[in-house]
Amino acid sequence: MSFETLSQTVIKGDMQAAAELTRKALDDGADAQQILDQGLIAAMDVVGRKFAEGAMFVPQMLRSAKTMQQCVEVLKPHFQGAGMTTKGTIILGTVKGDLHDIGKNLVAMMLEGAGFRIVDLGVDVSPAAFVEAVAKENGQIVGMSALLSTTMPAMAETITALTTAGHRETVKIMIGGAPVTADYATSVGADCYAPDAGSAVTEAKRLLDV
Amino acid sequence: MPLPAPDMPISDPLLTMEQLAAIDAAGREILERTGLRISDPMVRRRLADSGATVDSTGETVRMPHDWLKTRLADAPRQITLCGRDPDKDLVLGGGRVHFGNGGRVFQILETATRRMRPTVLADIARAACLVDQLPHLQFFIIPCQAHDLPAAHYHLNDFFQAFNNTAKHVMGGCDTVSGARQMHALAAAIAGDAEKLRQRPFVSVITNPISPLTLDAGTLAIIDFCAGRGVPLTCAPAPMAGATAPVTLAGTLVQLHAEALGAVAVIQALHPGAPVLYGAVPSTMDLRRMNLAIGSVETAMLNGAAVALAHRHQLPIYASAGLTDAKVPDAQAGGEKMLSYLLVARAGADYIHLAAGMLDSGNAIAFEQFLIDHEMIGMIQRLRQGIDVTPATLAVEEIVATGPGGNYVLADHTVNHMMTQHFYPQHSVRMPYDLWTREGEPTLVSRSRDQVRTMLANRRDRLDAVCRNQIDKQFPEIRHIEIEENQRT
Repeated sequence: MSFETLSQTVIKGDMQAAAELTRKALDDGADAQQILDQGLIAAMDVVGRKFAEGAMFVPQMLRSAKTMQQCVEVLKPHFQGAGMTTKGTIILGTVKGDLHDIGKNLVAMMLEGAGFRIVDLGVDVSPAAFVEAVAKENGQIVGMSALLSTTMPAMAETITALTTAGHRETVKIMIGGAPVTADYATSVGADCYAPDAGSAVTEAKRLLDV
Repeated sequence: MPLPAPDMPISDPLLTMEQLAAIDAAGREILERTGLRISDPMVRRRLADSGATVDSTGETVRMPHDWLKTRLADAPRQITLCGRDPDKDLVLGGGRVHFGNGGRVFQILETATRRMRPTVLADIARAACLVDQLPHLQFFIIPCQAHDLPAAHYHLNDFFQAFNNTAKHVMGGCDTVSGARQMHALAAAIAGDAEKLRQRPFVSVITNPISPLTLDAGTLAIIDFCAGRGVPLTCAPAPMAGATAPVTLAGTLVQLHAEALGAVAVIQALHPGAPVLYGAVPSTMDLRRMNLAIGSVETAMLNGAAVALAHRHQLPIYASAGLTDAKVPDAQAGGEKMLSYLLVARAGADYIHLAAGMLDSGNAIAFEQFLIDHEMIGMIQRLRQGIDVTPATLAVEEIVATGPGGNYVLADHTVNHMMTQHFYPQHSVRMPYDLWTREGEPTLVSRSRDQVRTMLANRRDRLDAVCRNQIDKQFPEIRHIEIEENQRT
């Protein structure tokens, strides 16, 4: 069975049509793993390549990623046990005192598109809330964002809180935002700094070795 | 150079009257149908008392057409932002265009090392000292974060450095209402008392809604505090087309207009007659990689168009021009800045902030950039004067008297008009090539860098000794810093 039409629909980012096509492929007896590999992942490979070439823009790439997510939801019941896993769980939030979230939201969309499970805590997130979410959601990465240089110190406070709570050994920390730099990440003991949403994906994959 | 005539006609508008009317109507429709999120229950109640429609379950306040009209009718059409001396007063809403710098960045491209470093309190003092000496910059905005200051007495210190280094009108952001209190107490002490400050407000405050359509509780508290004390305000939305606003320019203008006009209306409902500027800091995103494109041609167009939207309601505008995405003073910076100065100034913006010193998508300043931009702004002010056509400037008698083959170098007419007809840049290069090579191949950038040092050496306290002594006694939390010596600029 060819999944060319499905792939094209994912590349186009047509969510409704792609979910329909996925359902139809299952009804026609196609194997869920095959649909995933040859229809969806193949499509996202093309999307990744086109994005790298500048032939696709961020909104198009994110729509393709979201389309793929919807198709995966259709496929999920057809996988046995641990057959469907995510690349890992990432806890995201804009740090305490900061209400700016467009950058953090972009990072969330990109990471989700890349196959991570995202727990988005929103804005003005206290160190305690980060700690609680890591424990509750079994987070593997904590991603913190700040737009203001005045709220950056909350990143260090959150890292301290995670250490105190005994999570620092099991969780990786990624930070970003306009005033944040690689040097700052090192100085507060974060594991990495992502200068933009695209690099957040690369860094998350590197941190979890996926 | 004299300022441009207030009645200088606006040429080449970015929007036709029909387009402008459509955007204005759409913005007001948004306020009527969706409204603004007002994240403070007390403010919501006060708005409900004044007749706005408060959503009983959520936090949004919808603004019916008549309510909006009544509130906007209370907004002053003309606002005087005072200098500490009356000759530095700025009358906004009278047709004049004023330029100043902007804020509030977190890093500076050091003139000496040409590397970025985090900004400190002394940088605020130095920038104020430069703006104080640059005639085409008519107001000063606290340009950067002082990373060496603790939060507790932050605004006492950053505003003190501003006041002590320039006598021009000072504007700045406040992080919290307690910060606004510090600023107000300090300014009142300088003015003599709070009533004198209300009479001649030489300081004003910047606040911002969060796009889309949100006014958070902290911002509302600052607005309430300042407006109640006659401190002029703006509440300036900064929507980004394609991210926090629609990707279309018209759609971004609709949302910007709803946010800016809605904020003016909220402030008027809380404090009728409070001096408030319609604010606009729209920008665009480069959707290829989701980078801010604050130097884009579309950003310049949005900022130019916003002027007409504010003026449609006879509101003076806190407008934006002079931003660039370039990281260093280069050709990109020059082009992007000039394009936005042209569009925003020619639209007749009352108060153009961010016009000097900015680099790196609004994240950085550089001192030499203040001087470079100042020179460009001088050109813009010359442009706004237009071409003066009178019997004297037509110079028919001079041309007849000189006749074919002569020249005008020694003519009375030349000497009489040469100072008023032409703008003389300070640092741009105008000399023969050979001389230029002999002088070490200077450029506008290198000359501006050299001049920074001289100007900073001219720094002087702008508050007199009596005033400073009194402030020292009243506010022991004000830190004394070394500005001139042993400091990296």
